Amino acid sequence: MLVLRPVEPADLTPLQQLAHDSLIGVTSLPDDRDRLRQKIADSCASFCADVTRPGPENYSFVLEDQATGHLLGCSEIIATTGFYEPFYSLRNREFTSASRELNIEHGVQALSLCHDLGGQTLLRGFHVNAAWARTPGAELLSRARLLFIGTHAQRFADGVIAEIVGYSDEQGNSPFWDALGKHFFDLPYPEAERLCGLESRRFLADLMPQYPIYVPMLPQPAQACIGRVHPDAQEAFDILQREGFETNNYVDLFDAGPTLYARTVHIRSIYQCVRSNARLDTAIDARGRYLVCNDDLADFRAIIAELDWRADQPVGLDLRMLEALRVNEGDAVWVIAL
Amino acid sequence: MIVRPAQATDTPALLALAQRAGPGFTSLPASEERLAHRVRWAQRSFAEQVERADADYLFVLEDDDQRVVGISALKGAVGLREPWYNYRVGVTATSAPQLGIQRQLSTLFLSNEMTGQSEVCSLFLRHDQRHGHNGRLLSLSRLLFVAEFAHLFGDKLIAELRGSADEQGCSPFWDSLGRHFFKTDFQHADHLSAMGNKPFIAELMPRQPVYSCLLSDQAQAVIGKAHPQAEPALKILSAEGFAHKGYIDIFDAGPVIEAQVSKIRTVRDSQPLTLNIGTPDEEAPLWLLHNRRLESCRITAAPGRLMGNSLVVDRLTAKRLQLQPGNSVRAVPLLAKVKAI
Repeated sequence: MLVLRPVEPADLTPLQQLAHDSLIGVTSLPDDRDRLRQKIADSCASFCADVTRPGPENYSFVLEDQATGHLLGCSEIIATTGFYEPFYSLRNREFTSASRELNIEHGVQALSLCHDLGGQTLLRGFHVNAAWARTPGAELLSRARLLFIGTHAQRFADGVIAEIVGYSDEQGNSPFWDALGKHFFDLPYPEAERLCGLESRRFLADLMPQYPIYVPMLPQPAQACIGRVHPDAQEAFDILQREGFETNNYVDLFDAGPTLYARTVHIRSIYQCVRSNARLDTAIDARGRYLVCNDDLADFRAIIAELDWRADQPVGLDLRMLEALRVNEGDAVWVIAL
Repeated sequence: MIVRPAQATDTPALLALAQRAGPGFTSLPASEERLAHRVRWAQRSFAEQVERADADYLFVLEDDDQRVVGISALKGAVGLREPWYNYRVGVTATSAPQLGIQRQLSTLFLSNEMTGQSEVCSLFLRHDQRHGHNGRLLSLSRLLFVAEFAHLFGDKLIAELRGSADEQGCSPFWDSLGRHFFKTDFQHADHLSAMGNKPFIAELMPRQPVYSCLLSDQAQAVIGKAHPQAEPALKILSAEGFAHKGYIDIFDAGPVIEAQVSKIRTVRDSQPLTLNIGTPDEEAPLWLLHNRRLESCRITAAPGRLMGNSLVVDRLTAKRLQLQPGNSVRAVPLLAKVKAI
């Protein structure tokens, strides 16, 4: 059985393997033992913290195969973007070029650096072992975060965003970076992404273009990257889109990958999930597949379960499920169709 | 040869010149109506009937058979009626010391710096007359005119030199920048510009600075580069003290060269002298001479012998200047002295 749970100090080595395998653009997963150890420590502290309003907390999760004890993926929530340092994005807007005398008016796309997405809750650090891509496990890894947000609403902001890794080729070249970032940072794309994961993002502010970048001035391959999803990040994008997330006018500074946004209360897994009580059922006549999570904080658990569940009824779970969720009969659980 | 103010009867000759000059010469559109209008405006300028903001002194170069073979102009001020835009080629410096990264990025800043300055422009000399000192006479006569009537002009004179373009008249700079905002080709923009719409086109350009590194390589290569056809003009004005100080045309990136009026050689070195008629010896140097009149301005170049406060020239020169012996003339050596090395 696959179980999603908070990351623990003992996960360091397998987590580093996941980080090693993740896309270059997933900057929150640096292949760096010290940084990951710190991330785990921060996450453990966040799960234990007494929080009444969203702050700098980060909640890191891992997907574990209980049969083998292997970690198959990881994902993360940052309670508030821009809490300690500005959260940078590129705003893609049309600016109007007009002359009354010549009777001309048309729009020209321009990318401007902004902090507009500060103060939101951020989904990031999503990586699933390639063998588990496009399986219910990947769905669990992504959406359990939404269940966690929904069941601990006071810990999160009114809006949730996710930055999706943008296009780069198999050699790790990003046409967008080559046309834009390279001029300002004097670094190859993978190195810039690596630094972003390691260093303070201060250097971004120091080096970034402060004036608008007019999109038609960029070469075609770079323009085509704006809002384009990396093929390996398509699943992460699709899952959130089905949850009601939408692309907006913001893209990533480095690779121009899209940003997804949803108001927290409009996220499908949050407004459709149902609170119920666990009931032991040793012979489940499964009718459908569900995501189920417990009501805990530091002991948060989420699983995929085949259930025979009807609204307004307790949820029948078998013994393995109860154990995986760390709940007893009668305890509260949250359920949503997969 | 003399340089004199353009008059209404010159219009057909100017139209013929404009047709020879071709579409690259935007300040002289081959349109009879526009040329006639410009000549009328010039006459009012020479008659001191217009404000400096609108003054347009249009000169013609005329041979002894009264044929108009060249044209040049001097504008009282740019940018006082409609905003006058240039890009200043500047630098944006960034650094991230912890990463050891320092960047100096060439950046184009939109500027109205030249507002209120005077402009020398619209110089065209018929191809078959491009010999001797005709080009120099046509160009420098404007500077001598400024020396005489400094109160009619700004502190600086500027000249916008035509920027690089290919044989079809396409500007790589325009293709990389202006085209995206105006959504038309350079020739069309250039044509509208010639018809007096330049300020309106400028309004379409981005207000914010533009990083040069985001322009095409070809566009970056022509920033501040004069068109080969503008090289002679550049050479003459450079010798007078004009220099490129980083301003360029917003359409084709041609250099804007500028000079403080008081430091221009022709202005600084010119002096009022008394005209005398005689025979300058064969070694006598060439002088640029102005009859010191505004409406009936006449400027020519001729050998002259300096004797105290008087300048001896031949009878024909005096006739060309419409001056009598004893009249005052403003004079300056036509050629800048070559400094001894």
